[in-house]
Amino acid sequence: MQALRKIWFLALSTCTEGIRHRALWAIVCMAALLTMANLGVTTLYSWDLGKVSVEFGLSAVAFTGLLLVFFLGMKILADDLERSRIFMLLSRPVSIWQYLTGKFIGLAMILLLATIILGLSAALSMRYVLWLYAAFVPPDFSWLTCVMALVCQWLSLVVVLALSVLCFSFARQPFVALLLAVSSYLVGQNMELLRRVVVENPQAGALAGQEQLVVALSWIFPNLSLFDKKYEAAYGMAFSGQEFVLLCLYAISYSALLLYLATLLFRRKELA
Amino acid sequence: MTYPAIEINHLRKGFGSGRKKNQALSNLSLSIQPGEVFGFLGPNGAGKSTTIKLLLHFLKPDHGSLHILGKAVGQEEFRHRIGYLSEFPVFYDHLTAGETLLLSGRLSGMTRQAIDQRIPMLLERMNLTEAADRRVGGFSKGMKQRLGMANALVHDPAVLIFDEPMSGLDPVGRHQIKGLIAELKQEGKTIFFSSHILSDIEALCDRIGIIHKGVLLYSGGLRDFLVAGVGLEESFVQIIEEADRASFA
Ligand SMILES: Nc1ncnc2c1ncn2[C@@H]1O[C@H](COP(=O)(O)OP(=O)(O)OP(=O)(O)O)[C@@H](O)[C@H]1O
Ligand SMILES: [Mg+2]
Repeated sequence: MQALRKIWFLALSTCTEGIRHRALWAIVCMAALLTMANLGVTTLYSWDLGKVSVEFGLSAVAFTGLLLVFFLGMKILADDLERSRIFMLLSRPVSIWQYLTGKFIGLAMILLLATIILGLSAALSMRYVLWLYAAFVPPDFSWLTCVMALVCQWLSLVVVLALSVLCFSFARQPFVALLLAVSSYLVGQNMELLRRVVVENPQAGALAGQEQLVVALSWIFPNLSLFDKKYEAAYGMAFSGQEFVLLCLYAISYSALLLYLATLLFRRKELA
Repeated sequence: MTYPAIEINHLRKGFGSGRKKNQALSNLSLSIQPGEVFGFLGPNGAGKSTTIKLLLHFLKPDHGSLHILGKAVGQEEFRHRIGYLSEFPVFYDHLTAGETLLLSGRLSGMTRQAIDQRIPMLLERMNLTEAADRRVGGFSKGMKQRLGMANALVHDPAVLIFDEPMSGLDPVGRHQIKGLIAELKQEGKTIFFSSHILSDIEALCDRIGIIHKGVLLYSGGLRDFLVAGVGLEESFVQIIEEADRASFA
């Protein structure tokens, strides 16, 4: 009970700190403008306007989220260590796991807020495009699927965030942590592709016959492409509630595991 | 059975490894009784801050043990009973002074009610009342130092560990901190602090420890240290020079 309260206070202050950061609003405003560019971009296409609009809107949200994780989130984490702000927190009865979890939840809340704001602005621009070109509205288009796709987008950001926390707990330099986090993000993003190439193609070069290895890898690195539901949203394809719940569970358990590992590594770290 | 407030036994700590190894502390033992004001002096790079970081388990010792109020550092929880002021207090730039203290109080397990009573009093004591709702990012060095002091005292701990509490303060601020330490002593708190300002040490401390290049040169009563007729400054310089000569010989 006490532990949960402490985590909550840490999360709340991290969130406040982030929200008052100018960088957050700069990125969010840029992104909101970007989603508005939807109006311009989609008119460049003479077919499938509706689909382009939906995909574009969701991509803008995804891209912004990544910027927020890698710049704002990592900056807040790095400053804690670099400027030894962490002393202020860890000189109190706060354990490492409470500290890391609190930070993680606080940053995830910032991401959620950004996702909601950008989701709304993307929805507005999508709404406008779909209204303007009613003929291009994808058949079976559903806002519910869009919202679910947006939530999945956020979940994938949360996994990337957990990954960054892990990188921080063993890298000595924040820059190295950033590099590690970005590269594991890229690997995670392409995991499904690699897996499919190797499993379905008997002539997959060096990795041929290494299906097991690749499958194992796809379990170690987060399979981020699973969370990419832009296509489903754009084409109004069915996206079952069951799959959605499974994805949520995957994101939560994967992040929890990463945070657990981060705690183990962090305990051995010297803070000076 | 009463425990010493702080007990350090055969502490060793080095940074780096191999030939580049820098032995920051070698075989340091200290014991500080409850209610004592202990001054920790030494030239720059002597190992004062390292000792303090080891006490809070920010650094892990290579050898030796540390106990605070009878609890083994790193194994048992004691942090709700100590207040710590770091050498360079850093806070969240975008939180206000009040919010910073609120977070600290909360993390130390205080109730909201107790915190709400204590914060205005501490801010007043540290001359920060006007700055209570300002963001800490805009504070001057001395203001941060004073906020750090308030932050260390928010949960009214029994043992206080200050790393250079007077640095960056104007003469009025220094005078206030001196008064505060004297007051805390009256209340029966144990205070362990490092400082370069010998006159403050002379005015406040019961006992002192002198450390140089990671070696404890002296620990004991302040009066016993002062060679008859000479001030603390002369005695301090003398013992450091002697140690340097001995290490060259
Ligand atoms: N994180 C670190 N990595 C490597 N060496 C360190 C580290 N921290 C301290 N040292 C070394 O340990 C020794 C003691 O440093 P420490 O900061 O404890 O000195 P100090 O007594 O607090 O000095 P000052 O009066 O300047 O604050 C120095 O030689 C320093 O170079
Ligand atoms: Mg120091």
